[in-house]
Parts: sequence; structure tokens; C-alpha cells
Amino acid sequence: MDISLDIKKRKRKKISIFKIKRDTLVPYLFIMPWILGFFFFTLGPLLFSLVISFFDWPIIGNPTFIGLANYKEMFFEDPQFWKSLGITAKFAGIFVPLNISVALILALLLNNNVKGSGIFKTLFYMPSVISGVALAMIWGWVYSDEYGILNYFLSTIGIQGPNWLGDPNWATFAMVFASVWGQGTMMLIFLAGLKNIPKELYEAADIDGANVVSKFMYITLPMLSPTILFNVITSIIGAFQQLSLALLLTGGGPVGSTYFYAMYVYDNAFKYFKMGYSAANAWFMFLIILSLTLLVFKSSSMWVFYESEATIKKKKG
Amino acid sequence: MKKIIFVLVACLALISCGQKEQGITLRFATWDSGDALKIQQDIAEEFMKENPSIKIQVEAYGSGFDQKLVASFGAKNAPDVMYMWDFPTYSSQLENLDSYIKESTEVDLNDYYGGLLNYVKVDNNTYGVPSGFTTHVVFYNKDMFDAAGVKYPSKNWTWDELTEKAAKLSNPNDRVYGIGLLGKPDPYDFEQFLWSNATSYISPDGKTLKGYLNSNESVEVFREMRKLVDNKSGILVGGKQQQSGSDIFKASKIAMYENGIWPLNGYKKAGINVGVAILPSFNGNSPKSVMSVSAISMWKGSENKEEAWKFIEFYNSEKAAKLRVADLPVRKSLVKSFGIEENVELKPFYEMLSLADSTPSFLLNSNWKEVQRNLSPAIEEAMLGLRDPQIIMDEVVEKSERLLKE
Repeated sequence: MDISLDIKKRKRKKISIFKIKRDTLVPYLFIMPWILGFFFFTLGPLLFSLVISFFDWPIIGNPTFIGLANYKEMFFEDPQFWKSLGITAKFAGIFVPLNISVALILALLLNNNVKGSGIFKTLFYMPSVISGVALAMIWGWVYSDEYGILNYFLSTIGIQGPNWLGDPNWATFAMVFASVWGQGTMMLIFLAGLKNIPKELYEAADIDGANVVSKFMYITLPMLSPTILFNVITSIIGAFQQLSLALLLTGGGPVGSTYFYAMYVYDNAFKYFKMGYSAANAWFMFLIILSLTLLVFKSSSMWVFYESEATIKKKKG
Repeated sequence: MKKIIFVLVACLALISCGQKEQGITLRFATWDSGDALKIQQDIAEEFMKENPSIKIQVEAYGSGFDQKLVASFGAKNAPDVMYMWDFPTYSSQLENLDSYIKESTEVDLNDYYGGLLNYVKVDNNTYGVPSGFTTHVVFYNKDMFDAAGVKYPSKNWTWDELTEKAAKLSNPNDRVYGIGLLGKPDPYDFEQFLWSNATSYISPDGKTLKGYLNSNESVEVFREMRKLVDNKSGILVGGKQQQSGSDIFKASKIAMYENGIWPLNGYKKAGINVGVAILPSFNGNSPKSVMSVSAISMWKGSENKEEAWKFIEFYNSEKAAKLRVADLPVRKSLVKSFGIEENVELKPFYEMLSLADSTPSFLLNSNWKEVQRNLSPAIEEAMLGLRDPQIIMDEVVEKSERLLKE
């Protein structure tokens, strides 16, 4: 009897092991299409591009290992590298604050429960649905020097509008405005953040006689700061990677004034076919974005307020 | 599980069966699009009628031609036959056609204009057969000339003559201008004006820009161009998201416009009474035009070289040349039999061809494309008149010397 029990137990054990294996395996199988895609089409090429960056890698002909020469050329010999980096930094410097303020203001306006706010929500969000190519075409018409609607409106109030896309002094601003136009997603995230702020806080402030400005400064902004943090980071990443608009709206011109870093990388790879050099460019961009993001994260302890942390502190106190 | 495997195997089997086709398929890549692409398809159609065992697959790469071609060379999966223009870059991937031409009864290089053959040779090996070309000319609107009482361009006209006419033809208040100039010209095309003033971007040995791009003659060209715009006898046209010069010419808002043959039919269709003149000369030097040569080449790695050559031969036959109306025939015998020498609209293109003897910069230095990255915005800056052309060009020379040595 003992023996038979033992066998039964063993059998059960075997079955259960098999079952556990199967149970743990199945979820992996379910995510397998994504995992495989990630390994083969994202992580693999990503790491491979790091390898490529140490090579002189033309598409036609054989790659040769050149160590850090690509990085050396980039930092010390190629003036266009620094120029494009500067242009992109300038763009990001204007775009990020403007984009966040516009999205925040629109979200604040939409947060007032007035009639028709649903329609405006749709209208403000609509540009984000449009693809980059269509967006570039629309703005190409809007900015047109002689026939554009923007300069037409300006002329009705007696201002002779500049040649937005033809004047190197204006082209960057034109790009910023066109990019800000597609802020809809950010606005929605802000709106969701605003809706999450407990009403009691405002009611308490009302009782204490706080005005609109102090309510905004002391309730809305702190409560919204985690959302702002998220939007700042995604905004920075987006600004540094801006390519489609430069490619389609200005082609990097006029006089190279909108020759963004992403376009510089793109040209090195697909116009001049210097894969190694362009991979080195791209990795440097990755490091810049990474360090900026880390910087923002580090600074966040000074200005981002998390409700959950506050309650813990209170309990401790 | 077994069932799934069975289904998968069955699917794969079906897919692989579907790919099997009878006869040979030749891949033919072109940068043409729109009407010009239709011509390529018609030629392929015609060839397939004569050779039912060969199927031509026309692949339209459009403006992404170079990217796609390079990628396909890199992947060792290139089209068998392709359009070609940039021989120095691609010659290592192209079949040397000399032996084919020697044995061919169809292709006789003596029948081709010598100026065109220079473009398809690298180190004296022929890597392509020219099949169409255009030089640049000045199109002018005869009705606008008549209305302003200005004489048509004379046979050997000069830049001064052009400036004078442009001033008389323009009427800035109505937004009518004597001439349209490209605000951001392709540096490849623009070099013709430097040639016409007896200079060039780069030294003939391809080693330096100093004393060429920033020479007095070059700077004079840029100043003369800009002067037209400053005097309001000319206007800058084209560029990204701007109206093209050809469209403005069609709207009779500019009286003269320099270009290749491409828009000629469009002008006629738009009802413009268009005249064609050769390029004007600077300071008594003979006018030179840039040449846009479309040649046809074979991939070195093609598995069907015999058939590919057959298609190349057909592509340069009279039959195909008749279908190719988007640019000009390259064979002397065809030019004669098509009666082009008597055609006043087409003759100037061949006059420019007979004068052409300059070698474009991209054939002189293998790193030219990168120099062009500095040059392109510089020319634009000069055309926009933002700074003095001498300063701008000096800067480009200094910035680019590093690239020429590599």
C-alpha cells in the first residue's frame, strides 16, 4: 500500500510539475509575438547600431573597424554636427515650454464645465490625429509667402508678414508653431490630471477666501506636477527627434536654418550612406536625451508633489 | 498541435508555389513618376510583346531612387536593369558593358553624342548606355515679349542682354517679373552658370575649390543673379512648399525661365506661346549647359544578363526612342530621322549639347556629395542676398577642403 501511494504521489507530482510549466509557459506564448518583435526589430538593431558606430560602414563595399574615429570626426572635425545640435537645442528650448503652456492653458479652459466644451475638446485634439505628412502640407499652405492664409490675416490688420519658411530668422519659429499645433495628446493628459484633483481642496480654499491665482498656484500646479513631469519628458524627447516636419516643410532650409539634428543623422545614413557615422550620431543623441531626462527626473524631487507620499509623511508625523 | 503544423506547412507550400512563374522576370528600376513612368511601362509592354518569354517588372523608385538602389545593392537583391546617372558612386556594382557593345549589332557608340558618353564612363569602362538627356535652355513667353515691345532673345545673346530685357518685361506692381530664378537651385544644375563665365566649383584635378568657387568670376555670377532680384526685374521661385517656377511661368507672371526640357509640353498645354533660346553668355565666353543624362545600366550580380542586355538594346532602339517623349533622343541617326534639327523648339537643346565640354564636379571628386551639403545652403544664401557672395563662398571653400582630401 505504501508503495502504491508513493507512486500515486509521484504521479501527481509529475502532473503538477508539468502543469506548472504549462501554466507559466502559456502567458509567455501569448506575449511571444511582441517579445520576438521587440528582440528582433528593436533591441537587436539597437545594439547592432552601437556596433556599427565603431565601423566605417558604407552600404556598398565592406565595413572596416575604425574604433572611435566616427566619434572623433563628429566632435572635432564636422562643424555641421555642432550646428545641427545647436539648431535642435534652440528648437527644443522654445518648443518645450511653449507646448506645455499651450496644452495646459487649453486643458484649464476645457476643465470649466461650460456648454460646448466637448466640441472644443474634439477640435483641439483633431490636429494630433493628422499624420505628419498632411500636417506639413497644411502648414506649407498656411505659411506660403504670397498666397498663405497667415500672411493674409496679418495683412488685414496692416502687418506685412514675413516669408515664414523662406527667411532663416523665422523658419525655426514657423516650425515651433506648426509643432505646437499638434499638442492635443498632451492637452488630454493634462485634462485627465485636472479632473483627478479632488474638489474638496478647491472648496476648502474657497472657504478660506483664496482667489483664482492662488488656487492655481497652490492647488492646481502642485497637484498637477506629476503630469507636468511626464509631459516635459515626452516633450523633450519629441523635440529632439523632430524629423518629419523638417524633412517635409522646409527640407532643412532656408540656408540650413532648420537642419535639425535628426535630419542630419538621416542624411548621413540615407543620403551619404555613412551608416557608421550616422549610428554614432544617433547614439550621441540618445545620450543627450537620456541625460536630459535623468536631469529632469533628479530635479523632480524639488518640484513634483505626489499625494501618496504626502499622506505617508503625515502619518509618520 | 500537429494540425497547426500541418496547416502551416500547407500554407508555406502554397506560398512557394505561387512564386513559381514561367519564363524569366527582369526587374527594371526607374526614378520616373507620373507621365514619364507611363512611358517606361509602355516601353516594357512593347518589349514583352516581342519577347513573350521575358517579363519586365517596372519598379518605380521615384524620388527615393538612390536610397532604394543602394539598399538593394547592399542586400545583393538589386534590379537587373536600372536607370543610372551617378556612375562614380555605383560603378562597382554595375556590369562593364564594353564587351556587350562590341558584339552588339544594335548599339553603336559612334551614333551617340560624345558629350553624353563621358557621363557613363568610369576609368574608360562603359557602365551604361545613354538613353535620354536634356540640356538647359531659357524658355520665354513670346506674348509677354510682344506686349512689352521687347525683341526675342538673339541667337548669341549675352547676360547683359538678358538683364536689359528682364528689366523692360517686369512690372512689380502687377507681380509680373522678367525672369524667375530658383531660390534654392540644385548645385549640380547651377554650375552651368559658372562654366558659362569660364570657371567652375572645383579645380579640373578635383583637389581644391580655392580659386574656383570663390574666384572673381564665380562671385560675379552670384552678384549678377542677385542684381536681377534687387532691381525687381527678377523674382526667386521654387523651394519647398513654394510655387514652382514652371507654374508661375504658366500663369504668365514671369517672362523667362531657365530649365531643362521637362516642362515644355506642360507650357504648350497651358496655352503659353513659348519660345526656346540657348543660355546667355557671360563676358564673351561661350555658354555652357549642365547635362542631365539618363542612362540605362545592368547590375553586376544579375542572373539574367543575356536577357537584360536584350532589354537594354531594345531600350535604345528607334521604337523605344519614339515612345520616350519626356526627354530628348541621344542617337544622331534618330535626331536626323525624327527631323529634330529643323524643330526650332528642340534645336537649342542640341546647340547647348554641342557646346558642352565641362565635367561636372561629382565626376571629379568622389566626396563631392558631402561638399554639396556645404555648398547648397551657401548658394541659397547668395541668392537670398543675405551676405556678400565673396564672404559666403570663401567660407564654403574653407569648410570643404577637409572633405576633398579624404
